[in-house]
Amino acid sequence: MNERVFELTGYRREDFSVCLGCKICASVCTVNDLAINVNPQDILLSLFMGKAVDKAHPLFRYCTNCYQCTNACPWGIRIPEVIRAVRESLGMETLFERVFKGSVGIWGRVYEPYIFLKTGLFLAREGYLRYMPRWTGYMSFHLPKKVKIKTGS
Amino acid sequence: MEFAYYPGCSLTGSAKKFDRGVRKIFSMLGHTLVDIPDWNCCGAFEYGDKRKLMELSGENLKKARDISKDIIAPCPACSRNLKESNEDSVFRVYNPIELFTREFLSGLKIERDLKGQIFTPYYGCVLLRPKETAIPDSNVMEGFVTNLGGETAGEKIKDRCCGGSQFFINKWATERLSRMIIEKSKGIILVFCPLCHMALTTFSKDERVVYFTDLLLYVAGERAHI
Repeated sequence: MNERVFELTGYRREDFSVCLGCKICASVCTVNDLAINVNPQDILLSLFMGKAVDKAHPLFRYCTNCYQCTNACPWGIRIPEVIRAVRESLGMETLFERVFKGSVGIWGRVYEPYIFLKTGLFLAREGYLRYMPRWTGYMSFHLPKKVKIKTGS
Repeated sequence: MEFAYYPGCSLTGSAKKFDRGVRKIFSMLGHTLVDIPDWNCCGAFEYGDKRKLMELSGENLKKARDISKDIIAPCPACSRNLKESNEDSVFRVYNPIELFTREFLSGLKIERDLKGQIFTPYYGCVLLRPKETAIPDSNVMEGFVTNLGGETAGEKIKDRCCGGSQFFINKWATERLSRMIIEKSKGIILVFCPLCHMALTTFSKDERVVYFTDLLLYVAGERAHI
């Protein structure tokens, strides 16, 4: 699994050897504001040591991609990208991520009405529908347009 | 000047207002935005495979080739991904906010001032981080507001995260992070990101969240209200 993470991020194992455990990433992490204690260094250390990454690490669920850690890190390690790669390699993608990629796969773009339909049950169950009156300004209808993407993967 | 324009997925849907604002301002300043033909999604932050992300934006750069080397992408995630893909610097990729300097906006006809009004310019994450793709001036909105006699607040929260990327995953997390920002704001919150706009609007009480582009249109007399 760890090799797959290196492949997805473009990092090499030795790139994480520079992490000396200063924990500045932990001190600036947005997830602290959710009253959840996190230390991103745990993940880097597991990858460097060739150990299994703890799937239950809160960052895999709550990382907001804010890059506060990266800006603070003396080595500029892009921890959110490492977290995304671990999530992808372990099949920990959320419904939203799967539907997002599904839309890109069909049309080459994110078609919001499709996202809304495919996640409708989740949105209803999780209480999002009460925000609908606030979302009227975001609603506009257009037909999807299919575009080609000539990527290698 | 002619720019290649990358609207991105949200600006063709939920952030249509943002799209209209950017197009209008560039038009008022005498610039031409030419849509990149058949542009595709940039992948935002939804892919763990960096190569795939770079390929998606690389494809958009190829599609822009025949229009202009200067590319505008208003959504911060899109401009960031395009900048990252522009490894050999063949193109100049801009988020429009980094062009909105005093000099660039000097052609804007000012019909109203902002005296007696207070604003909280909120930049969020992606415009300011990581360093390699960040906008060079993190006081663009403050400068514009104060030049027109307005006041600004919220210096300490302007770069905090609204939790937008958790919006459709862990709603409570976005609510908590957005509320922290809203509670420390004063007056109208100015944003330049579709996701920040949606998160802060959803979890606001009476506070108003406005695209900076709409403020520009208001002072130029194109909008009756902010």
